[in-house]
Amino acid sequence: MTETSTERPVAGAPPRDDILLDVRNLKTYFRVMDGVVPAVDGVNFSLGKGHTLGIVGESGSGKSVTALTVMRLLDIPPAEIGEDSEAWFDGRDLLKLPESDMRRIRGNDIAMIFQEPLTSLNPVFTVGDQIAEQVELHMKVKAREARDRAVEMLRLVGIPSPERRAKQYPHELSGGMRQRVMIGMALSCEPKLLIADEPTTALDVTVQAQILELLKAIQERTGAALILITHDLGVVAEMVDNVIVMYAGQVVEQGTVDQVLLEPRMPYTMGLIESIPTVEKRGGRLSAISGVVPSPFHLPPHCRFEPRCPYRWETCRTVTPELYNAGDGRVARCHLHLVEATARREAAIAQHRQNMAMGRRFTGAPDRLGDR
Amino acid sequence: MTAAATPSVAEPTVKRKLRRRPPAAIRNGRALMIAIAGYVAAGLFILLLGLVIGARGVSGIILPALAVVVPIVVLCILTVRLTRTRQVWALALVVGWAAVVAVAVGFLIATMASRQPDANATFFAQLLLTPPFFLAVASAWHFLRGARWFNGEWEHPLKADESGARPISAPLVVSAPPAPADSVPSAAHATAGTAPLAAAGAPAAPVAPGMDGHEPEIRPIVAPEVAAPASAEAGRPLVSVQGLKKHFPIYGGVLRRQIGTVYAVDGVDFDIMPGETFSLVGESGCGKTTLGRTVIQLTPSTDGRVVFDGYELADVDPEDMRPLRRRMQIIFQDPFGSLNPRMPISDIIGEGLLAQGLTDRQARDKRTEDALELVGLRREYTRRYPHEFSGGQRQRIGVARALALGPDFIVADEPVSALDVSIQSQVLNLLLDLKRDLKLTYLFISHNLSVVQYFSDRVAVMYLGKIAEIGTVDQLYADPRHPYTVALLSAIPEADPRRRRKRLVLKGDVPSPAAPPSGCRFHTRCWLRERLGNPERCTTEDPALRTFGEEGHRVACHFAEDISQTTVEQATAEAPAVVAAAVEGE
Repeated sequence: MTETSTERPVAGAPPRDDILLDVRNLKTYFRVMDGVVPAVDGVNFSLGKGHTLGIVGESGSGKSVTALTVMRLLDIPPAEIGEDSEAWFDGRDLLKLPESDMRRIRGNDIAMIFQEPLTSLNPVFTVGDQIAEQVELHMKVKAREARDRAVEMLRLVGIPSPERRAKQYPHELSGGMRQRVMIGMALSCEPKLLIADEPTTALDVTVQAQILELLKAIQERTGAALILITHDLGVVAEMVDNVIVMYAGQVVEQGTVDQVLLEPRMPYTMGLIESIPTVEKRGGRLSAISGVVPSPFHLPPHCRFEPRCPYRWETCRTVTPELYNAGDGRVARCHLHLVEATARREAAIAQHRQNMAMGRRFTGAPDRLGDR
Repeated sequence: MTAAATPSVAEPTVKRKLRRRPPAAIRNGRALMIAIAGYVAAGLFILLLGLVIGARGVSGIILPALAVVVPIVVLCILTVRLTRTRQVWALALVVGWAAVVAVAVGFLIATMASRQPDANATFFAQLLLTPPFFLAVASAWHFLRGARWFNGEWEHPLKADESGARPISAPLVVSAPPAPADSVPSAAHATAGTAPLAAAGAPAAPVAPGMDGHEPEIRPIVAPEVAAPASAEAGRPLVSVQGLKKHFPIYGGVLRRQIGTVYAVDGVDFDIMPGETFSLVGESGCGKTTLGRTVIQLTPSTDGRVVFDGYELADVDPEDMRPLRRRMQIIFQDPFGSLNPRMPISDIIGEGLLAQGLTDRQARDKRTEDALELVGLRREYTRRYPHEFSGGQRQRIGVARALALGPDFIVADEPVSALDVSIQSQVLNLLLDLKRDLKLTYLFISHNLSVVQYFSDRVAVMYLGKIAEIGTVDQLYADPRHPYTVALLSAIPEADPRRRRKRLVLKGDVPSPAAPPSGCRFHTRCWLRERLGNPERCTTEDPALRTFGEEGHRVACHFAEDISQTTVEQATAEAPAVVAAAVEGE
């Protein structure tokens, strides 16, 4: 995988100064009763200071586990982190740090926003107390100052009458309010990196719009870097600069948001984008990706997307694909980018453009079968 | 907002006035009478038991008492389990009850006569035993007459074929083209790829023209105004909802008194034409799911009427609902919560068939398998349990469960929102294909505006239990006329970075449906009201749905004329930083 990343430093050495987070060959396995689940299998990415990165994938693709591994929030065992995995943050390898140092970083330098605010907030403490606790711990201030800071954070995230709200319990707030509290809590110690794991999935569309605008405004104001984990390509399109697409624990495509969403170069990404219903596709059928995500216990041996791929050929069943350079700094894990497959690549891209333009007409293609 | 207030909703023709459910007072009185009869019967039984014990002693009573009590218990269980669906069983049970009572009476008379051989005592015993005899006769009468003691004239319950339901033995696919030679079932099964609708679609190789022939059937938009003259059948709405209300009481306090009301659905009117996909969109808590469930009478409505294919549903007798229910099915939102984990798929899908009277196990399994095949699953899956399937497959099972009964109208309650994007499109395609092949009509409930735009013909936007705007997809998405619709459309995250634009962000959250704002329910969050300088009309007068512009496009806003591209753009541009805006919202 090293040939794709042009300026990647040697293993074990810290990255350049302007790189905030550098994840190298991240592997997370879960050893469970039925076998070993490779939840994250060799993920590389780097994130510059103040930049934004989106991680996209279906459920089970390993996007949340990637974040949890970097945050060291997984229980070991059952989780197992690969020997040569590295996650350089601010000149230190997070995966090698002792737990006490990690506690200082968590919440202080890296903060996380979870998907379901009701389950991640403590129901028996007021939201003000919960924010103040973190402030007190990390910023070493008095309880009164911490409380003031908590109220200030609630005001920052747009909660009306924050003094009153700080004294309320999570169940007294609406879903959007709770998510604002989570964001306020995450921002309270001015982190350098904010990881948002499906921050708007549980919310309604108008509230989602509020939260996304808020995240954007705050990210611009504080200059924190942002990793946004989501399955919603629309959210990604509006929020981030760079995108990683994950499938079955691997990165399958990486590039800027315009590159990945407008001109995807990996059949899985193409399929995902084609399957979004749009007004142009009315009257036609959506070109769905056939089949389901493979079971993590029985992954296809070579290309993991091969059984569902509409463009597969013999090579896909015999050679394991690497992340190939797909031009303009983007990479894609697909044999279409081998030199000898140029014709196939052109055909696939043409097909994708056609599918995007009108949706696939009723061609009798057997893709209505979900479980071949 | 009653039917009279919205003249554009045509008065539906009511096909046949079905037996009305008796009013609550009569139902309560009936329940009271049954309870009293039960107490009297129990008292008599104890009295007689004492009498017998006195006559024969405790040890002598055990065997004869068992001989009477065990059959009674068995009969009770059988009665509860079997009489709801099977007429023959009900008759057999009546005979069984009569036999048991006769044995008991005969046994008691014999006992007393042998103990007290004088004629007076025998007469007295017979006198005592008369009430249970009459009770038995009454229960037989009850069964035969269908418990219609006070109803006056006796009417036959609605038969399935009278209701227009497809015969339960009919094949599931209705629009099968003349079957080509190679689409015999065995061949269809052999090619796993195209098996399910081989009969409905066409075989793979020579299809191109045949497929084109299918295409016109999927008209992108079937506006009712356009469709009406095209077919006589389409002239009348399949479902007509008028002034429908569903209120839920809130109980509280020490005495559990009613302390409030949730106005979940509060006066909704719309028509759904046959073959149409009608969508409801709105945020969570706006009442769209409740509305869907009330339309097919899964929850009884508080007020208003639902006319389904000429039948008034709101106060139809429960027994008459059964054949109608076969024609109205629902697909539930959560494919994990809606399938019973302890039932095999054959039972999950077959349960509805059983309730509709398809008691033949083999016929039921056959139909279950057909339904599975129809949704693209293998026939063998009937023996499996829900946990063995992925989310997409479970949702297919939910669809098969609804289809097994051969419905005409399906309420699809957020059928894809719990699924991953790639699976979502598979299920949407499936629903579209089924609509074409089975000539279904959908009420599609969703919060996802892009899916609705792709999927439906007409859309109603709901806000706090009322319809804010209703129209065809083109009318609504191209020319939204309610400030809420404008904001909703603006809030959709676009997956195309080229279409990235500034959003019109609404302030605050949806108010509680237990205390909806006065006047226009949207006025607390309305950006248009703010731009117009907060006119008083919005807070005092509830806007009625009125036709705006084209026919069929109706909007509930006093100031719909003031919405234009420029006002929207100005509002978007002027919107202060989102943080400040939200603080102001308080």
